[in-house]
Amino acid sequence: MRDYLLENRSPFLDVAAADKGASIRLAPVTGGFVFHVLGDAKSDEAALKKALAKIAQELGADVRKSAPNQWFWVGDADVSSDQRAEIQSALSSQFALCDQTHGRVRMVLSGASSRTVLAKGTMVDLSADLFAIGQSAMTQIGHIGAMITRVEDDSFELIVLRSFAGSLWDELQHMATEFNKPASMS
Amino acid sequence: MSSLVKCPHCGLRPREEFTIRGEVAAPRPDAGADEAVWFDHVYLRDNPRGENREYWHHSGGCRRWLVLSRNTLTHETSDVVDASTLKAEGRA
Repeated sequence: MRDYLLENRSPFLDVAAADKGASIRLAPVTGGFVFHVLGDAKSDEAALKKALAKIAQELGADVRKSAPNQWFWVGDADVSSDQRAEIQSALSSQFALCDQTHGRVRMVLSGASSRTVLAKGTMVDLSADLFAIGQSAMTQIGHIGAMITRVEDDSFELIVLRSFAGSLWDELQHMATEFNKPASMS
Repeated sequence: MSSLVKCPHCGLRPREEFTIRGEVAAPRPDAGADEAVWFDHVYLRDNPRGENREYWHHSGGCRRWLVLSRNTLTHETSDVVDASTLKAEGRA
């Protein structure tokens, strides 16, 4: 376990200005946690959710499947490394937690045409009837690996490796340009 | 040409999400086997016309190794399974 505190800094610089009045909104999710949960070959999601609800109910059990027996457990509360160690020790040996809070960045893309914007980068069918609210897919947006989760009707949360966050952000802004024309162009 | 691969974990995904390793070689020869047998196993590839079993890695998705049949004439892919199933069956 690390013996020093990491300062969680946003990888995005000055993002507030870009969002005003836009029909496609892209916003970073600040704070919160992302834990990579690795289960053994016999682990299953129902058991994990049940265990998490019992151990740390206040953190929620928002687990997003990234691969067989692997999940991202995501929440909006800030979790100290002590608390994470407590959760790990309470969890059965079937599951291992790996803190990815500083390594993986969350952002939310929302707006009526957010699906069309994402469709420019990924091949996963995000239609409302196929990709239900709460459903996730580990995929690529352009050439950047990202996990897409539908959080609301026209709202998608993306989890991306920190060093790719800036590139993905710029790419998404570029893909959304046709819906976010500056006032002088409309 | 079909560029979609049906990953058993993720569903239909584009070929760009995968990294291809190559054919599923026959089981390893015995440690004491003839040098020519080992040479064949390590260096010689069949390059068949038609169905070919290959290892593919779903590097842009679930990051699992898969084994699939690819037709080298039509590029159609079929019979995609997780590579661990081969191990369970003792075929790799």
